[in-house]
Amino acid sequence: MALASLLWLDVRAGLRERKIWLAVGIYAYTVLALPLLLKKPPAHVTAAMGAFFGEADPFTLFMYVWTDLAMNKVVATLGVVLAAGVVLRERDTEVLPLLAAKPLTMSTYFAVRATSACVVAGLLYMGTQVLATPYFMAWVDGFRAGEFLAAGLLHVWSAMFATALAATLAALVGKRGPGLLLALIVVMTLVGVAFLGFYNPAWRTSMLLMNPFALGVEAVGHLGRIDAGVLLPPMLGLAAITAATIGVGALAVRRMEA
Amino acid sequence: MTPAIEIDGLCKSYGPVVAVDDVRLQVAPGEVFGFMGHNGAGKTTTLRVLLGLTAPTRGTARVLGRDVVRETLAVRGVCGYLPADYALPPDMTPRQFLVYVAAMFGVTGAVAAARADALLAEFGLQEAADRKLRGFSTGMTQKVGLAQALINEPRVLLLDEPTAGLDPLGRHELLELLRGLARDRGVTVVFSSHILSDVESLCRRVAVMHHARLIACDEVATLKAAHGVTTMDDLYLALVRREAA
Repeated sequence: MALASLLWLDVRAGLRERKIWLAVGIYAYTVLALPLLLKKPPAHVTAAMGAFFGEADPFTLFMYVWTDLAMNKVVATLGVVLAAGVVLRERDTEVLPLLAAKPLTMSTYFAVRATSACVVAGLLYMGTQVLATPYFMAWVDGFRAGEFLAAGLLHVWSAMFATALAATLAALVGKRGPGLLLALIVVMTLVGVAFLGFYNPAWRTSMLLMNPFALGVEAVGHLGRIDAGVLLPPMLGLAAITAATIGVGALAVRRMEA
Repeated sequence: MTPAIEIDGLCKSYGPVVAVDDVRLQVAPGEVFGFMGHNGAGKTTTLRVLLGLTAPTRGTARVLGRDVVRETLAVRGVCGYLPADYALPPDMTPRQFLVYVAAMFGVTGAVAAARADALLAEFGLQEAADRKLRGFSTGMTQKVGLAQALINEPRVLLLDEPTAGLDPLGRHELLELLRGLARDRGVTVVFSSHILSDVESLCRRVAVMHHARLIACDEVATLKAAHGVTTMDDLYLALVRREAA
């Protein structure tokens, strides 16, 4: 109960940090710019989409662009921004000497902070999805709000996993700068290949097994037939992987001295 | 009666560097105890060992009868701590920070809010209670730092150089507050400082550390008489010279 209360306070503190404005700006730009880009996409993008999806309807193309080209990159970047300094930043800015003397282990404190960053990432993501829905309804041909939101309910776990992974990689490295860089490279690489299974169905199973971000985009492959059976298994998979990732980070910081 | 603090043969090394060497001392419950010594003498390391922030290389330490290595979280639960070097989270307000720290002790909801309000009032921080901590002066920061050390209503208060950076009025107020805590609430206060007048005005007993070793531990009056001096500065110099000889 006390930990839940601490987590809630940490989420609220996280939402008040200055970098949240950066996240809001990036999300706002993504939402506002996307319909404009879709009105007149570059020729090579149109050609690539035609090759991947054949005669796909406009909503399928929109969901591909929204999920892969936009939100996947945003969640990877923001995951690193939100979490790659968890505990390390407190150590480097000398806030940790106060907090480390409290009756929590360093591992528990890391778990609270990393989980809180994941919740913040999730709230920002779902807030964007909900606020963007009426805008897309007005601007995107054939937009289907229900499927858009349902796909977001799954993909938000990618945002939370990216955040957890960034926190843990930075904790493993133990230094903020190199940790942030490594997290950015790893998360961006994984996100960059998340859609490989769509492009080449022969790789789909191995992609799903090797890359958690591939789980997060599963709904895009089931447009028109999204249901709980499509959403729940990858959602639970991502939740478990996210929890395990935070656990690894908690182990990495257990001997850290403030 | 169980001592509030009991340190026996405590050693701490960082590789070849000996930070604390065979320190033995006891502090009684409700006592205001001073730790004197130059920078790097081992005061901070000793306080950090007491909170389980760093593990001793040898020896034992107990706080209110609890072993600081085996029962670290229980020890931290009854202690308040103000380190010498620290910063406050810049995007929080004092009120938010105190409630956050209270939650780390398992104190939540209305109780946490009431304690935060009471401490904000006690330290004259009501007007700044909802301002972000970014840009707080040294004195204001130190008040918030001390308030967070008291949010769990500690039985033992460990303060590392708490008066450093404070103006004379701020120092006077802080020393009065610490005196009141020991007198009215029975809190044991361990107070490290190299401002000798602060130690003298607050503490009946002191420990003097020099190059990682405890070179004296007794009542101030007894030490002064034994060394034939009248001021704390002279006492400190006499102890250090004796050690050098």
